[in-house]
Amino acid sequence: MRQDAPDDFVTIRNVTKKFGEFRALDGLSFSVREGGTLALLGPSGCGKTTMLRCLAGLETPEEGFISIAGKVVFDSAKGINLNPEDRGLGVVFQSYAVWPHMSVVENVEFPLRVRGVAPAERRARAMEILEIVGLTAFASRSATQLSGGQQQRVALARALVHKPALVLFDEALSNLDAQLREHMRLELQALQDRLGFTALYVTHDQGEALGLAETIILMNAGQIEASGPARQVFMTHHSSFAARFFGLNVVETARLAAPHAIAGKPFIAFQREYVRISEGVTGPGSDDLVLLGTIATRSFQGLADEYAIDLGNDVSVRVLDRSGAFSPGQAVSIAISRKDLFLLDA
Amino acid sequence: MNADPHLTPKKKRMTLQASLPLIGVGVGILLIIGPFLAGLIRSLLLWVGNDPQVSLANYSWLLTDTRIRTAALNSLICGLGAMSVSLVLGTSLAWIVSRTNVPGRETLRTLNLIPFFFSPYVGAIGWIFLIAPYSGLMQTSLGSLLGVSFEGPNIYSLAGVIWILSLFYTPYVYLFVISPLQRMDAAFEDAARVHGASFWTTIRLVTLPLLQPGLLSAALIVFVTSAGLFDVPLALTATKGIRTMPTEVFALVRYPSDLGRAAAFGIFITAITIVLTLWQRAHLSKRRYEIISGKGYKPRVIELRTTGTLIALAIEVLYLLTSVVLPVLALVLVALSPLWTGRFNPATATLANFSYVLFDYSLTRQAILNSLFLAVTGATLGVMLSGLQSYYLIRVRSGFKSFIDAILALPLGIPGIVLSLFFLIFAIRTPLYGTLAILLIAYIARFFPFATRTISAMLSAIHPELEESARANGATWAQTMRFVLLPLLRPALIAAWIMLFIIFIRELGASILLYASGTETISIAMLLLSENSVGYVAALALIQLVLLLTGFSLFRLTKVSAIQ
Repeated sequence: MRQDAPDDFVTIRNVTKKFGEFRALDGLSFSVREGGTLALLGPSGCGKTTMLRCLAGLETPEEGFISIAGKVVFDSAKGINLNPEDRGLGVVFQSYAVWPHMSVVENVEFPLRVRGVAPAERRARAMEILEIVGLTAFASRSATQLSGGQQQRVALARALVHKPALVLFDEALSNLDAQLREHMRLELQALQDRLGFTALYVTHDQGEALGLAETIILMNAGQIEASGPARQVFMTHHSSFAARFFGLNVVETARLAAPHAIAGKPFIAFQREYVRISEGVTGPGSDDLVLLGTIATRSFQGLADEYAIDLGNDVSVRVLDRSGAFSPGQAVSIAISRKDLFLLDA
Repeated sequence: MNADPHLTPKKKRMTLQASLPLIGVGVGILLIIGPFLAGLIRSLLLWVGNDPQVSLANYSWLLTDTRIRTAALNSLICGLGAMSVSLVLGTSLAWIVSRTNVPGRETLRTLNLIPFFFSPYVGAIGWIFLIAPYSGLMQTSLGSLLGVSFEGPNIYSLAGVIWILSLFYTPYVYLFVISPLQRMDAAFEDAARVHGASFWTTIRLVTLPLLQPGLLSAALIVFVTSAGLFDVPLALTATKGIRTMPTEVFALVRYPSDLGRAAAFGIFITAITIVLTLWQRAHLSKRRYEIISGKGYKPRVIELRTTGTLIALAIEVLYLLTSVVLPVLALVLVALSPLWTGRFNPATATLANFSYVLFDYSLTRQAILNSLFLAVTGATLGVMLSGLQSYYLIRVRSGFKSFIDAILALPLGIPGIVLSLFFLIFAIRTPLYGTLAILLIAYIARFFPFATRTISAMLSAIHPELEESARANGATWAQTMRFVLLPLLRPALIAAWIMLFIIFIRELGASILLYASGTETISIAMLLLSENSVGYVAALALIQLVLLLTGFSLFRLTKVSAIQ
């Protein structure tokens, strides 16, 4: 099978998956380069996990085309649909799915066992990968005796032991506490450098996606909302959905007291951090958007305070400020530089 | 604490809260230990002239007599046979209705449970009418079609016993595995598939091992119940001289009567049961693990193709035909015939058998009334007793709980006929002997653990804070029970009541040694009439089935309301 482009290691074209009338995936297309990392990011119900399951062969799309490492695994036009076991993947499940009736090493050597690798060799290879994830000491333990973080490493080792070309991670780090998560993130990167697999992460956590993946696809209602290099997706916003998802203030321009200030776009968005608050009514700076409002609530966040500021007309924005100088009920004006303002069409 | 003398609690007499559950536990233990001790003492006594002597003679006889060895071997064969067949059949049926898109699976899910409420004894009688050598309905109808007379498979054999037991114990396995099959985290199987295991390899290496705790429990229950069941071997093989352990106990009591040897045998059977139960407990506590993560997807439903659908439906239809439809049909045809000759003649069909057993024949009329009285009273008393025991086991703090739990669960495996033998020994010289009361006590003693399990399971799912908040708001313990706990427990109490009702309506093993003239039950009457009046037997069997199916429908209703 000819590949679409030399760097398309995984190709997904026009994949549509319906559950009843609900279109979980609505003509989705994207690709991943060999050795690359891509994160499917989005709120729950956006279709990201369904996409992962279609890739793994655990769900069958109604339409579309999927190829992995030059092999067509699904093609609705030609009636191709490979079984999950014939796609040669590694998958780390959200619940880890470490089998409780097997020991750690039995779990890890399972992919080799079902591929007919001789017992001695598969044991050796399983031990090798267990050493990489730092679980050698636990090899003969029952999987039920492990902590969440350890179970996750078992799941990871199991997904890597047969040297798959593509490894899928379903909310892989979501169940770990913050510290362990950061540790695991670094470790995953090191592992990928060492073993050279291509990785696809599915997550609802922007921090996880930004930290792990070079490319991010933001999904909404079964479609791609934004995609590109991680930094770019985070820094530029083209829709109110994307802006809201990344935690920006999104305001309907028509509701603002001075709509003329923003040239014709229906929405504006800005980061909580890039807002300056000043007491009372102050005149606008040279190129700033200035809005008047009242402090509604204040919550202490450590390095800064987060204020909810009521702009009238049912518009409320959140603002971070380090001065600690304002209190609820106070009339303030807020100023946002034009360069920090996203003007959005939808 | 303040020194106000009015506030210092008095040395109180025991409260209701402390005493009632203890009474429940005490009565339960007495019901088990009392007859067991009676049996144990009797087994150690040997009468020399008029003087009883302590002796181990009964036990040494036990070890040397070939009858015992043969009976034990036959029971082992029946138990293992029924266990194997129902494991395969029960798991297949559960898998079909929980994991495939077979048409009508919601209905099938319910239909598969009907044999659970049937009486295996009635099933055996139905199958005798169906395929008794030369004279069964199958032989006569096929024979007249082909113009030949033939013997057919021999239902009067151990294979026949295994066949009947398998049909009626398959739902036990089914019930044990369907819930884990439905709720198992799909990721366990998905993980196997994506890492290279085929469908069947996944079933072999992941699904079945994950079901193992449930399968093991089911296997043990089917084995112990099959090996200890009295009525089916009695109906099928006793007349052919093939005895299993329960029918051998019966023979030891009756021809010729030797209560000492029978008691020794009963103690021996009880000991085996206890060892098996303890082994299962130990094994399960080691292998307990969670297969429901709550994070995964629902298990995937397999889309069957045409062949798969046909095979699945064929298994379902065959099972329901052989366990329910065919035996009931045979019973109906026999019951409608004035004189059964192995053929049904629609022209002479009559309801005379029904009206005779219902209204005219004092034995059967009384038997139906007795069974209803035993079932209603027994289920009510049993649920009260089990409710108190469950409260003790789940809510009361005590260091002996696991020990008491083990004792109270003992009757689960002890064959009904063994327990009733112990009750016979216990009551034979008391005025209780020959009354309905002794039957009632034996029924409750043998079967209350089923109710205790049901109620405990639900009680442990009710958070104690629901009661504590009632107490904190000023309710007494009795008020808390009445207004909070009992209403919450109601579905389990009703389910337990119906379960006991069903068991008591059909019970034969626990009654056979304890009934007397005037205290016959439906099953006893069927046994007494089986020699000569098959029409009455069939009519009685159908009346019993109607009572059981009423219980089944009520059970379905309460299960629905419990879910809502």
